[in-house]
This record gives sequence, C-alpha cells and structure tokens, in this order.
Amino acid sequence: MKVLETKNLHKKFHKLEVLKGIDFSIEQGQVISIIGSSGSGKSTFLRCLNFLEKKDKGDIIYQSKKVENKASSITELRKHVGMVFQSFNLFQNMTVLDNVASGLRIVNKMEKTKAEETAKEVLEKVGMLDKANEYPARISGGQQQRVAIARALAMSPDVVLFDEPTSALDPELVAEVLSVMQDMAKEGMTMVIVTHEMGFAKEVSDRVIFLHEGKIAEEGTPEEVFEHPQNERLQSFLNSMTFS
Amino acid sequence: MELLHSIAEFFEIAFKNLPNFLPGIIATLLLSILSIVGGTLIGILVNLMKMAKVRPLVLLADIYVVIVRGTPLLLQLFFMFYCLPRMGINLDRFTSAVLGLSFHNGAYISEIFRGAILSIPKGQSEAAKAIGMTKLQSFRHVIFPQAFKNAVPALGNQFLLAIKDSSLASVITITETMMLARQLATATFSIFPIYFDAACIYMVLTYTLSFLLKKLEKRLRVNER
Ligand SMILES: Nc1ncnc2c1ncn2[C@@H]1O[C@H](COP(=O)(O)OP(=O)(O)OP(=O)(O)O)[C@@H](O)[C@H]1O
Ligand SMILES: [Mg+2]
Repeated sequence: MKVLETKNLHKKFHKLEVLKGIDFSIEQGQVISIIGSSGSGKSTFLRCLNFLEKKDKGDIIYQSKKVENKASSITELRKHVGMVFQSFNLFQNMTVLDNVASGLRIVNKMEKTKAEETAKEVLEKVGMLDKANEYPARISGGQQQRVAIARALAMSPDVVLFDEPTSALDPELVAEVLSVMQDMAKEGMTMVIVTHEMGFAKEVSDRVIFLHEGKIAEEGTPEEVFEHPQNERLQSFLNSMTFS
Repeated sequence: MELLHSIAEFFEIAFKNLPNFLPGIIATLLLSILSIVGGTLIGILVNLMKMAKVRPLVLLADIYVVIVRGTPLLLQLFFMFYCLPRMGINLDRFTSAVLGLSFHNGAYISEIFRGAILSIPKGQSEAAKAIGMTKLQSFRHVIFPQAFKNAVPALGNQFLLAIKDSSLASVITITETMMLARQLATATFSIFPIYFDAACIYMVLTYTLSFLLKKLEKRLRVNER
C-alpha cells in the first residue's frame, strides 16, 4: 500500500523554479533515498511533503487521500509523518525525555506518565535512555540526532523523512546515527532519506532517486542507480562523489 | 559637633517618618506588581496578535505600540484619568492608574518579547510544526519559553522602570510613595529627610527586584552547556 505520493509537484521561490513536476510514491515499509547535487531541490521536495514549504502546484496524497491545503489537514498529516533535520532542531528548553515525549503530550494530549513511559522505550531503542534528563545543548551532535529520531519515532509515524541527518556531524559521530537508521529500516519503518552517504544509501535503500534541477532524472534499485547509471548527469555526479 | 548633631537629627527625622510611608509603599507595590503583570500579559497578547497574521489584529497591535512609545507616560495617565470618563468609561482612580501603567509597560514589553522571539532559530518552530503542533502550541511550549529566557535581562530593566514610573500615578491623585512624600514634606517641613526616605524605599524595592531577577536568570540557565 502506498503511504505517501506526490503528483506533478511544483515549487518556485520567487522566480526560481526549484521543483518542476515530481511524481513520487513510497510503499509501506519501503526505504527510498534521494540523492543529487547541491541545489537540485532535495530539501525543498522533502519539506513540501509535510508542508513546511507550500507547494505551488500538484498534489500530495497520504494513504490514498489528497491532503487539503488547510491547517487542520496539514496538522493531521504531520502527526503521521515524522521529520529529522540536518541540524537536529531539538527543543532547547526541554530535556531529552521531554523532547521525545513532546509530541505525545502536546499534540496527542497523552497523559504525562504514559507519554514518558513510551518516550523512555523509544530512547532505549536509540541508546539514549541514560541521557533522558540531560538538555540538548549538553550532549554530542550524534546523540542529539539520535534523540531527534526518537522524538519522531515516539509518534509512531507511518513514514519518517530525513534531510541529510548526518551532514552536520563530525565524521566519528556519523556511524552511530546511521546504525540507528539501519535498525529502523530493518524493523520495517517507511523512510525517505535525503543523503550524501552513498554507501549507506546503497545498503539500506529499496529504491534510489536521483534529483537533478528539480526533476527526477533517474530512479531505480540501488544496483541500477549505482552500478548501471544511465543518465549522464548521474554518472558524473557519482564520479564526483567517489573522488571527493 | 554641630555637624554631627545635625546628621543625627536628620536620621532621626528620617527614621521617625518611615512608618508614615507604609500606605504609600503598599500602593507603590500594588501599582508596580499589577502593572508589571498586566504589561507582561499585554506584551504576550500583542505578539500573539502579530503572529496570527490577521491584518486588522496586526494593525491594531502596531498602532498601539506606536502610540504608547510615541507619547509621554504622563499624557497617557492624564488620558486615562480625565478623558475616559468624558467618553463614558468610568473607572476608579486606582484602576485607571493600573491600566495606564499596564498599557505603557505592555508596549515596551511586547517589543522586548518580539525581539526575543525573532532571535529563536527557525529550526525550533519548524521542528514543532513538523511534529504536528499548532502555531499556538508551538508558541506556548517551544518558542515562548526560550524567548522569555532570553528576554529576562531586558524585562528586568523594564520592570525596574515600572516601579519608578508608578510614581507618576501621584499626578492622578493616587497616594503612593511619591505623593505621600510630598504631603509629609509639606506637613513637617523636613523636606530633605522625607525625600531621603522615599529614595531609600525605591532603592530597596528596585534592588530586591534586581536580586530576584538575577536568581531567576541563573535558574533559567540550566539548559545551557
Ligand atoms: N526559502 C528559500 N527561499 C529562496 N530560495 C530557496 C529557499 N529554499 C531553497 N531555495 C533555493 O532552492 C534551490 C534548491 O534548494 P534545496 O535546499 O532544496 O537544495 P538541496 O538539493 O537540498 O541542496 P543541498 O544538498 O545543498 O542541501 C536552491 O537554489 C536554493 O537556493
Ligand atoms: Mg538540502
């Protein structure tokens, strides 16, 4: 079953056309990676999926229903679509535990003890339970990102969007985050991942999408995209990645 | 000897008159606390109005801030006291003083909050939205707590001003510290010791407030590295 789809998605910033008609869909349990050079529109696409950016044209379809362009439908969608940001964006005024429980308590109005119980379970999963009472500013970037993943997971989302989750991390902290994501994928979480980690994308994805100048220039299995790229741009993009 | 004697006399008069200030101190405290609380609530409300992005609300909020910041407090108090009754709005003196001072403080406090809110990184409200919070939930649980913390030093400054500005309520016949000082000075002819008392009272009030704010600031810093 398709969890999330887009049809002919368009987005402009002033005169700059960033997305030029994206048709996309992800099935339950699928992991899709989105690759492409800087400025190709990867983040914009991801942010359109949960309406952090307002699309100009086209449809976003969640569980086979078109999402209306009104606050209540958008909020409802966001409850089921998690997002993990490049810069973590943990709530600085809350402890790790409160961050993870925040969606359940504030959005889902769950009772405090129950929300914290769930939050602790999720924190355990990402290996961050021992820092439950710490504040975000006092833990490492890798730890912050794992907490941010836990915050998204606590809502039991149908799909989680990742926007370069490891790009802001020191190299030695990348692995711990990727390993958490790998576990999620194994447990059947539906994931859309914008990433520059080609090795990871190859290993974890069911499908890979190459975005170029606001269009899907190529898409296929990791094998197809990484071993037998057809598109010339993709070929030179992959070359630039391996040599850099 | 002569000098020592007059100094002793000065303090004796000052000390003797201090209890007479009690009603004034209470009035000053009430005016200050109520106008600080009122001003803070107005400051929050103004920011919510601006955040709602509804044209008339934003305009109303902007006009309010421009008027209050562009006119003297004295004039604002006169307006509350003399003009409102002419417009058929009858408030007792104390209420109109509290309202006038609150409106005054509210405009400045709203600007303090606005700056503090703008200084919160965009990622915070994006993360709040992304998890499904409404604008109001995001404001209440994520943005405002952080903005408030950043605003505490500037707020403290405004609160000190609020205590001192409450003395202007004397012009609309509220018997607060300053008004009492004037009355006592006229009655006893001991002008200097009496105003010395008044100065000490304001000093104690403002210093206590500064001290409490410092403590609050420290407590709010727990989430920092
Ligand atoms: N809020 C915005 N206002 C104006 N232009 C924007 C905005 N956000 C993105 N852009 C522009 O849109 C284009 C696509 O940006 P986007 O962030 O989606 O690229 P990206 O593929 O994620 O790149 P990167 O790999 O560097 O993150 C860029 O040219 C960018 O400058
Ligand atoms: Mg990006």
